[in-house]
Amino acid sequence: MPEFIGINRNILEAEGLGKEFNDVWVLRKIDFDLRTSEIHSLVGENGAGKSTFIKILSGVHSPDEGMIKFDAKPVVFHSVKDSEDTGIRTVHQEINLVPFFTVYENIFLGSDRKRTVLGLPTVDNKTMRAEAARVLGELGVELDVNKKAHLLNASMERVVEICKVLVQKPKVIIFDEPTTSLGESERVRLLEVIKNLKKKGIGIIFISHNLEEVTGISDRITVFRDGAKIDTINEEDASPAKIISMMLGDKTYYDYKKVCSHRIDEVCLEVENLNTHRLKDISFKLYQGEILGIAGVVGAGKSEIARALVGIDRLDSGRIRIHNQDYQPSPERAVTSGLAFVPEERQAQGLILNYSVMKNITLTYLKKWCRWGFIIDSVEEKKSTEKYIKSLSIKTTGPTQLIKFLSGGNQQKVILARWLDGDFKIGIFDEPTKGIDVKTKEDIYHLLDDLAKKGNSAIVLSSYLPELLSVCNRILVVHEGRIVTEICPSEPGAQEKIMSAMLGGVKVS
Amino acid sequence: MKIALFNNRNDLREFIRKYGTVIGALILFIVFSLIIERFLTASNILMLLRQMSMLTIIALGFNFVMGAGGFDMSIGSACGLIAMVFALTLLGTGSLLLALSAALLCGLLVGLINGMLVAYIGLPDFIATFAVGSIIYGVKMLMTRGNPVSYPSDISPVFAFIGRGFVGPFPFPVIIMFFIFILTVFVLYRTSFGRRVYAIGGNPVASLYAGINIKKYRLATFVISGLSVALASIILTSRLGSAQPLAGEEFLLDVIAVVFLSTTMFGEGEPTPSGTFIGALIISMLNNGLTMLNVPYYFQFITKGSVVIVAVLLAVTLGQKLRIKFL
Ligand SMILES: Nc1ncnc2c1ncn2[C@@H]1O[C@H](COP(=O)(O)OP(=O)(O)OP(=O)(O)O)[C@@H](O)[C@H]1O
Ligand SMILES: [Mg+2]
Repeated sequence: MPEFIGINRNILEAEGLGKEFNDVWVLRKIDFDLRTSEIHSLVGENGAGKSTFIKILSGVHSPDEGMIKFDAKPVVFHSVKDSEDTGIRTVHQEINLVPFFTVYENIFLGSDRKRTVLGLPTVDNKTMRAEAARVLGELGVELDVNKKAHLLNASMERVVEICKVLVQKPKVIIFDEPTTSLGESERVRLLEVIKNLKKKGIGIIFISHNLEEVTGISDRITVFRDGAKIDTINEEDASPAKIISMMLGDKTYYDYKKVCSHRIDEVCLEVENLNTHRLKDISFKLYQGEILGIAGVVGAGKSEIARALVGIDRLDSGRIRIHNQDYQPSPERAVTSGLAFVPEERQAQGLILNYSVMKNITLTYLKKWCRWGFIIDSVEEKKSTEKYIKSLSIKTTGPTQLIKFLSGGNQQKVILARWLDGDFKIGIFDEPTKGIDVKTKEDIYHLLDDLAKKGNSAIVLSSYLPELLSVCNRILVVHEGRIVTEICPSEPGAQEKIMSAMLGGVKVS
Repeated sequence: MKIALFNNRNDLREFIRKYGTVIGALILFIVFSLIIERFLTASNILMLLRQMSMLTIIALGFNFVMGAGGFDMSIGSACGLIAMVFALTLLGTGSLLLALSAALLCGLLVGLINGMLVAYIGLPDFIATFAVGSIIYGVKMLMTRGNPVSYPSDISPVFAFIGRGFVGPFPFPVIIMFFIFILTVFVLYRTSFGRRVYAIGGNPVASLYAGINIKKYRLATFVISGLSVALASIILTSRLGSAQPLAGEEFLLDVIAVVFLSTTMFGEGEPTPSGTFIGALIISMLNNGLTMLNVPYYFQFITKGSVVIVAVLLAVTLGQKLRIKFL
């Protein structure tokens, strides 16, 4: 390739790309181009069509209109393999590692390097190890290639996923929401890695709902709304506020900040000396009307606290009281005692994928729509579902659409709706805004506030600090399975104090 | 014609995936009607339905277990055991009511044991229920040394009616079968119990996180399976006029064939009552038709096995292509 075509030629172009599902156009007339050595971000509300767009580029879906050009030549992808052979690779949102394989075995999964020993083809472990180490080094990541995948933390898992893609020497890499549920330090680290890739001349498409992150890393930003492209802007012209207004059109957005406390002096949940295989001596109180945040790095034990409370992990010792009544945790008793739990992994822990939107929403409190306690009244069930589709603006064709066809963020809203329908007193929300767009995020914060106003309480577990700081009355910090400190978001230097406690007392400058 | 019906090959593929098994059943029916003289007569159809009633009832019970993601290998053995318990109680007490209760209780117990082992103790369902089946086999041999238990034919006229009676033109077992079918459809699709059974089969982890007591539900499905075996076993004993310890042993293979056919139907990937009914119809038509054609019985096994392989293969290959498309 002659030098003078230069660093910034177009590597991937889409012309008038569109896609329809069952006669509904979810994507229309998208023009898009990606240059070499560029980070080009896609932003838009939940269900705007971002994932659908990249699924066309990676050969999962075939477009119903328009065309794709790679290196100025038209290409047609009949399968994921076609797209990969062209040089396009995707780092999917879900981690897909084989737990008991080592790092390098995972990296070369399905593309083993071979060599011939005595005329027989054998797996060339030595070359694979060396190459894996080299790729990791290029990313500036220190990681033992012989480590087993199940021992990795979330950001390292993501790094291995990236390496899997890198050893294929792609020209274009697509990242679909790579930073969701990563902790602060892991997030920063991953963004550095992505910037390094850009320096190597790779064209990068980056999807995220975190607009600070988007404006910080991108060269250009393309905004989608309702399946159409609104505009592409350069990094210099971009600010979160501007992007939000492009994303939302005429909808209004305020920068949410908790204004008043609804906390009253009545303890509704009391946890004493809770111990499980991962937790040590957890004790805390939750007051009525309070929103309590729990912060901690990935793997610190946030989700474990939630799982212990609803009886999924076994307690070794400890005592839990709800409204001064002893409570033995089990998922079923949790519901009857007024606990609600929105888990972290929406597909693995939240959804029945082959069920409709309606059946997923009504699953927990099904009895509410039953006559005589067991016969489902489908008319009422449908009515109530429609109410939630409206109030949470869930983007779906209707209550009977299968949940697997909804966009990621809209699936998350369905899980929220499931619990909102009940009469719970204490809500435990593990990463409640994972994969949710700015506007809906704000709606969810208001919703939490409304719940608190009505005298309910909530525990919010999140690895995204600004979220905790803006919605909580109080924040507990967990580190290695213990609660290390308690901080009020309004006290001076709260953010720094929390971050330092999260890292086990290290001073953060 | 094809072009008018299906816009593209995907639609056609989807159609075959959903209704392939149903079309297969229809073709089988038509072919048998053409080549076997007495196949398409009212009396043979009623006989066919009566033959399939027990298989259908057991398979419908199995539908619950499999709907919740489980499997029950003990059904064949249990059938004979329940028959023995039934006959011995009838002989001992002379009371049909007691005997019926004992049979149902026995089915319930087998279900409870299976359910405890699988849902509460956490053993893999294949292994646990297979072992229970093996134990049951031993127990019933011990009880009777393999001899049938006969009783005087006039012991209870009501009892004879269960397996051999008619209501109008319809054999009584067929009426029971349709009643159980409607009950199953109702419970699986109209009640919270059924909704949750399929939810557990769809994603047990998410069901647990949603606050469902999945152990209780899984236990219940095994109990339902045990009870349905008991019902079928009562009908069988009444029809045979004596209790054979090995009666119903072949149900295991047939029921497995039926539920696999059922899961391949309507593209759901899970067994449905109507799929189960059509599956049972296919297997029973094969049994009935091949017998009428004087085909040796061992050849029937070969045919049934092949039918299952073809159906599953068809569904899996078509389904897989579609699934990759949706990923
Ligand atoms: N296979 C499908 N069948 C039917 N509709 C679909 C399918 N895939 C996506 N859709 C619809 O297309 C729309 C766009 O979805 P997409 O996943 O592209 O959104 P997104 O921008 O990635 O949203 P999010 O931020 O929530 O991930 C949604 O309304 C979704 O319901
Ligand atoms: Mg998406």
